[in-house]
Amino acid sequence: MDILTGFGQGLLVALEPVNLLYCFIGVFLGTFIGVLPGIGSMAAISMLLPLTFHLDPTAALVMIAGVYYGAEYGGSIASVLMNIPGTPSSSITCIDGYPMARDGRAGIALFASAVASFGGGLIGMVVMAVLAPALASLALNFGPTEYFAVILLGLVAASAVSNGSPVKGIAMVVAGLMLGTVGVDITTGAERFTMGIPEMRDGVHLVIVAMGLFGVGELIVSIRANAAGAHQNAIDYARFYPSRKEWKAMAGPVWRGAGIGSFFGALPGTGQTVASAVAYAVEKKLSPNRANFGKGAIEGVAVPEAANNSATQTAFIPTLTLGVPGSASMALVIGALMMYGIVPGPRLLVDHSDLFWGLVASFLIGNVLLLILNIPMIGLWVRLLQIPYRYMYPTIIVLICVGVYSVNNNVFDIWLTLAFGWAGYLMRLFRFEPAPFLIGFVLGPMMEEQLRRAMLLSRGDASVFLTRPISGTLIAATVLLLAWSLFAAMKARRAGRPALALSDE
Amino acid sequence: MKQFLLCGAAAILLAGPALAEPGKWTDEPVRIVVTFPPGGTSDLIARILAQYFESEFGQKAVVDNRPGAGGTVAADYVAQQAPDGTTLILGNNAPFTIAPTQFDSLPYDPLASFTHIAYLGASTPALFVQPDSGIASLDDYVEVARTDGITYGSSGVGSITHILGKAVDIDLGIEQIHVPYQGSAPAIQDFRAGVLEAYYDMLAQNRDLIRDGEALPIALAAPERSPLFPEIPTFRELGHDIVVENWTGLSGPAGIDPEMAATIHDTVEAVMAMQPVVDQLAEWGITHTAMSSEDFTAFVGGTIETWAPLIAAAKVNGG
Repeated sequence: MDILTGFGQGLLVALEPVNLLYCFIGVFLGTFIGVLPGIGSMAAISMLLPLTFHLDPTAALVMIAGVYYGAEYGGSIASVLMNIPGTPSSSITCIDGYPMARDGRAGIALFASAVASFGGGLIGMVVMAVLAPALASLALNFGPTEYFAVILLGLVAASAVSNGSPVKGIAMVVAGLMLGTVGVDITTGAERFTMGIPEMRDGVHLVIVAMGLFGVGELIVSIRANAAGAHQNAIDYARFYPSRKEWKAMAGPVWRGAGIGSFFGALPGTGQTVASAVAYAVEKKLSPNRANFGKGAIEGVAVPEAANNSATQTAFIPTLTLGVPGSASMALVIGALMMYGIVPGPRLLVDHSDLFWGLVASFLIGNVLLLILNIPMIGLWVRLLQIPYRYMYPTIIVLICVGVYSVNNNVFDIWLTLAFGWAGYLMRLFRFEPAPFLIGFVLGPMMEEQLRRAMLLSRGDASVFLTRPISGTLIAATVLLLAWSLFAAMKARRAGRPALALSDE
Repeated sequence: MKQFLLCGAAAILLAGPALAEPGKWTDEPVRIVVTFPPGGTSDLIARILAQYFESEFGQKAVVDNRPGAGGTVAADYVAQQAPDGTTLILGNNAPFTIAPTQFDSLPYDPLASFTHIAYLGASTPALFVQPDSGIASLDDYVEVARTDGITYGSSGVGSITHILGKAVDIDLGIEQIHVPYQGSAPAIQDFRAGVLEAYYDMLAQNRDLIRDGEALPIALAAPERSPLFPEIPTFRELGHDIVVENWTGLSGPAGIDPEMAATIHDTVEAVMAMQPVVDQLAEWGITHTAMSSEDFTAFVGGTIETWAPLIAAAKVNGG
């Protein structure tokens, strides 16, 4: 009952004209920024930060939040249309979204992504409203052992993401893990594989890897295909709206994606990218349509979008209730609140209940606004695909360069992106899949950091992973998943089908 | 005549080494390079400076975040810019005091490549333990560390809190188990989850945890007790000469015209004296001390020397 009164009270706050206006500005700007490759919510929020000094704290927070989740809506648009992740977390959406666009189903993919984002966002909001205090205390019980266990589970699930040869899939996961070790070792300060380049000390930024592998790599492939006289993508104008069958296919993935997304969003230190990566991997294990994953399955678009949008909402839970930011963007939110003398923490829910509930209610309004904004735009976005390549490619390259540069304001990163572009091209040429690589790269460094920290804290006693209840349960789940995979593989082999190779070749 | 006298009095009051008055120093917009991504205290200080430079003195200024490699990316960038007052860096320990010892090679010289202009202030870290651990004093802490060993969290290898941990190791003759985090927020999270026994972090940032009885500070690495929590003793009082301060200052590339540097210095001092700024810095636990550009330069050189053995120890041991 308390929640309902709180939400009602919040709705009144969120519907005040000023807050409504800033909510709209936020989501509109967020969508726009999200579409631009590489320029994520982080850049947008930092540009808006000085502006918020003059606003009321609730309006400022509502606007910043709008940019944050609006960018997740926008991020998938470039992923689907051009295979260029607009935000790091929508790189997972590329995996199925782009093949859909190539089939002429770009409109449906965008529609699915908008609807899944909306569903994910709403579920994330409900989770935040109902479970914020409970999830905050759960997140508090998540120490390094628990983080390690949950990431291990994610990685084991992810090992099933490859479509082609399982050997190549595992090779790609391992390559991703290896790339993740580049930079200063967090535990000892030793430089690893930096080749003496100062810019490499912090490792390779996810934006650079994703832009290079997906964006630039795809451009090189397309240019070659073009030279060989291929046609531009056909577009089926008649079909922007999913069929009844497609609607049905999306429902399960949206629920599961949002569930997984809400969980990872609430854990500080994981965030949307991990959420969408794990959700995709899990869905690929569960979906009846798993054979089509990676080849344009609508589920493969719905799942990461539901996950990353619910994660953007629940990411506010640790930020506001614990004062622990899960991402750089969330650190900015804390910074903005600090400017108003509001200290995020357990007392925020009580001391500033207007702000908290106003924000939660603005999620509802913002998501509705985003849906209204996005659906009519689909036709316009899809038409972008008809721009002749000779205009589109240079534009994309410029956008990629600007986006990559904006991460650290460093030209070196642009060159690095070019190198990853060639790597992506070669990978495509030899049929190595970028998806498992990306997942290994995202999860690997985090897993290593938590493992070593857990070992330091336990003074070298590895049994903590089994004796602490949450991590013990997660490890047991991982073992079960592995056993089930092996069993399924053996059964498949006995049935005369190649084990893990779920698709072509 | 009267006016002349007044001006003269003002000039004497505000005088740095060269006679200057606070005000605009270039017609171009100034970029204040910050070594961190947006959102942290450092970034917010830069934004406050930029805001007041423009609103009070008509000097356009923008913040340019260039994070990476412990601030060395930003410092290297600034060192290479023209010394015309349009590029300044909000410097701190990381690129100037720590990096010269921490990294084997640096593309810049922390003293020769820069004009160190104005010292802004410092915040101080304290040692925090679990309130229910039975540790109530530094002596108890040393006792536990000697018998059972103790784990402490820092905000990263080579960070100021790690160096403080090393200083405590050396001065108190103990060996704490160092657990590095990426920033203090995750360390505090683990501390609150009960898996971490102690941590070092800025006192002011932990105000609420202290008041809620979730973290117990037992010693402060400042020269004097803090007005925020006067009951917390300093390491010095307890017989250990450990002072580690997290300072911030404004510097530019080497070779800025002394007159211009004096103007920048005095403009910064004028901003730092404004009441809203004073209040905001106090809120963040940052104490401003007026320092001439010469003193500030000497201060940077001095900290490099005093800290070098600690940083070297932190580097060799890793943990």
